[in-house]
Amino acid sequence: MRFTISREKLQEGLAAVAASVPTKTTLPVLANILVETTERGIRFSGTDLDIAVSAEVTADVEIAGAVTIPAKKLTDIAREMLPAPVRIAAANEQRVTIECGRSKFKLLGIPRDEFPSFPAVRFEDSWRVKSAELHKLISHTTFAVSNEESRPILNGVLWALRQDYMRMVATNGHRLAKMQVPIERSTAGANDLIVPPKALEQVRRLFPPAEELEIARGDNHLGFRSPMAAVFTRLIEGPYPDYEQVIPRDNNRIAVVDKDALVGALKRMSIVASDQTHRVRLSFNAGSVRFSVQTPDLGEAQDELAIRYTGDPLEIGFNASYLLEILRYLPTDEVKLTFKGPEQAATIEPEGWDDPAQFLCLVMPLRLID
Amino acid sequence: MPSVAVLPSAVADQIAAGEVVERPASAVKELVENALDAGATAIDIEIDDGGRGAIRVSDDGQGMDRADALLALERHATSKIRTAADLVGVTSFGFRGEALPAIASVSECTVETASADGGGTRVQVRGGTVADVRDAARRRGTTVSVTRLFYNVPARLKFLRSPRSEWRAIADTVITIALARRDAHLTLAHDGKRVMSLPPAASLRARVAAIWGPAYATSLVDVEDVQGEVAVSGLVERPADVGTRTRRVHLAVNGRGIRDAGLVRAAESAYRSTLPAGLRPSVLLDIRVSHDTVDVNVHPAKAEVRFRDRWPVERAVEAAVRRALGTGAAATVWGTEQAPSWPGSAGLRAGRYTGAGGVGDAGIRMWGPPTGATFDAAPGAASVLPDDELLASAANGVLAGEGAAAGPVQLRRTYLMYEQDDGLVLIDQHSAHERVLYERFLATLTNGTGASEAGVPAQRLLFPLTLHLGSAAADAFEAHRTAFEQLGFEAETFGGNTLLVHAVPVPHPRFDAERCLRDTLDALTGDRSPGTHGRHERLAATVACKAAIKAGDALAPAEMRALVAALEQTTLPAHDVHGRATIVRLSWDEVERRFGRR
Repeated sequence: MRFTISREKLQEGLAAVAASVPTKTTLPVLANILVETTERGIRFSGTDLDIAVSAEVTADVEIAGAVTIPAKKLTDIAREMLPAPVRIAAANEQRVTIECGRSKFKLLGIPRDEFPSFPAVRFEDSWRVKSAELHKLISHTTFAVSNEESRPILNGVLWALRQDYMRMVATNGHRLAKMQVPIERSTAGANDLIVPPKALEQVRRLFPPAEELEIARGDNHLGFRSPMAAVFTRLIEGPYPDYEQVIPRDNNRIAVVDKDALVGALKRMSIVASDQTHRVRLSFNAGSVRFSVQTPDLGEAQDELAIRYTGDPLEIGFNASYLLEILRYLPTDEVKLTFKGPEQAATIEPEGWDDPAQFLCLVMPLRLID
Repeated sequence: MPSVAVLPSAVADQIAAGEVVERPASAVKELVENALDAGATAIDIEIDDGGRGAIRVSDDGQGMDRADALLALERHATSKIRTAADLVGVTSFGFRGEALPAIASVSECTVETASADGGGTRVQVRGGTVADVRDAARRRGTTVSVTRLFYNVPARLKFLRSPRSEWRAIADTVITIALARRDAHLTLAHDGKRVMSLPPAASLRARVAAIWGPAYATSLVDVEDVQGEVAVSGLVERPADVGTRTRRVHLAVNGRGIRDAGLVRAAESAYRSTLPAGLRPSVLLDIRVSHDTVDVNVHPAKAEVRFRDRWPVERAVEAAVRRALGTGAAATVWGTEQAPSWPGSAGLRAGRYTGAGGVGDAGIRMWGPPTGATFDAAPGAASVLPDDELLASAANGVLAGEGAAAGPVQLRRTYLMYEQDDGLVLIDQHSAHERVLYERFLATLTNGTGASEAGVPAQRLLFPLTLHLGSAAADAFEAHRTAFEQLGFEAETFGGNTLLVHAVPVPHPRFDAERCLRDTLDALTGDRSPGTHGRHERLAATVACKAAIKAGDALAPAEMRALVAALEQTTLPAHDVHGRATIVRLSWDEVERRFGRR
């Protein structure tokens, strides 16, 4: 294998896949990046066995071939090199030489046979999705996934594809985020996929919003592909909880609040809230909401905001960090909160959002007892 | 012929001897106590053949003249009290005037005594009858030699155990006295070999060091507390050491060694939640109460006393021991310790992990001695710090968060380590969190008010957890339903043994509620602990264990600091609920010693 590549293209290719290389691994070859020659240039690939990422960049290939090179070292070399063409060659698939100007490196690679092969996903049955729409769903929902490992299903994001819309849902059982965007008539049938958020993060990083992506499903893998890059991920198996059933339809207490003011008040309350539960008490009345926290051994705090509120007065407790997190992702200046009672799910939505997408968050209250 | 007759005094003496002198050890006790009552500063005790051969107790006390010496051998002859009124608040060991005649009546006994150096008296008694009185030259003081003990009481003689075990009893007796009265020089010899030589000791710790060795003495924790009229001082074992060596229990009330199961129980209950079931700690306690609140005249050998009101005394003992265990000194120490023990909590107060210097004494309180009656205060209800200091310490916590340089570091995702002025501190994150949760849960359960603001908040769930339980586990849930609700678990039974959980506590972000509930129910299955408090303790311990962060959980710096701060607020920070250590310390002295710097 021998090729010449510009330093910029080398860095571009490495940057695309470096994040998929695990920092700690028991399988040494996973710490390497697979470098292959293709018709258009060079393809870089990295994987941690759950997620695989590959990206192609242009290069002048003299002799075709493939080798794996330690990711960390290769990235460091690419960063420190002078901006000049880089010549990379590998003899017998193991001894890699990298030359750039008068710098010369020799690295010990691992033969490509040892690199795990990518999941078998057949793109013949693929469907197409606009990258921008995917970006939007990903950035508004993945924050809500569970980090706790007892219910693996909740560690994933549900990506539901239907005839004329697609949606993503994420929850940790305490709060939930759901976004839906209309799509042009899909060629694929209805599909429910539970995708690890890390893979979605890679998708968002790797594919620019302007692209159109091909997506295909294998046995229990999912592939995302654009002309120059691809992401493969393992799917999480199992039925996703019936989230439709827990979305309240008859919340009859409705508050409309200025988002920044609400965030400010909640942040002030959080200073004194308990470290474990971040519990904040909210008292809604016509025209205002009163905030209060009381933490034994620490102190207490109160605050108040003017709001638009309809419905009977309500006292309800929340984990302030859940509210703050959701508010960070709401796109509008004003937000609408709806409630049923102090023990039922509350909803948070953007108010006056001029967008075809629908965004809804749920948060379950914390018990308040006096 | 009259069938009722007053017994001759010799017979009466023998009967009394049965109560006072039941074995050689009790004779030794009486004689040594007499010596102490006589103001002796040095007492030599020589024993032959486990006390069967000979017992000889010599003192340098005030001695007696001839008339007194003869009188002393009469029953109820004493120099210690004069009227019945003197019995109240008596401070001498003896006062009944029974011991010497009782011993004399069942042995061959020689009393040599002199009230001043030079001319003294020597009285020989055989079976209670004075056989010989003559002059003897000796120094001031008294020597009582008892030989052929119980020669005339075959029943007693038959029940004596082997010389070895009688000797052990004697040694125990002497140790008990030595611990209670540390001002006298005691020597003890057996069959001509000197076994113990205990110079006057300034402290209990010094005396313990002289008896059992300095290593043992330094491994004990100081108890020092006053509750109302009751002062408790002494030494107790670190929970981590309990069960690893001989258990020793010595109680002294007003300087008198006694037995009292109630007080021992009180001391042991202070260890509650720090020891595995079945282990009992060593406790060496001096209890001082005002003399008129305790009656010592309830037992011929005065091995027991009666308190006018024993509750305050037991409470004081429990509180004192608990307080001692709550100090940093009760934490496990790694390596050797120097004799004057741990510098105590003072050094810990300005723990360096608070970050930026400058905060000085207002730094986060590390195991500072609880002020006042923390034990009695409702847990969680009140802080012992004034508000200003509280706020200051909270502020420091925030500052430390920004400085971050000196915060705890996590090792192997299991231990937290930080440095203090006097050494390195290692904390087991699971044990520490378990202790924090245990005390919080128990407070919630004990207060019985449900999840108050101080209690455990419950996060309602979007998707109720469905638990299919065995019938035993379902019964366990039913039995503890209210308690579970107080802890933040809201659940309803749903068709027999299925449990629908609607709300759960969130002790930390990685909490696995389902597993915690399942494991807890399994552990409670078939639990028959008696009493509400016992059940609560058990439930709190089980839930705390299941709910606490696990070894292997990576903690953020803020979480680590919060954990250390929360641990420091607990009453027994140094031990988890299974009796394992939560804190291990390595002093700089030890580090420097290992590196050869000193």
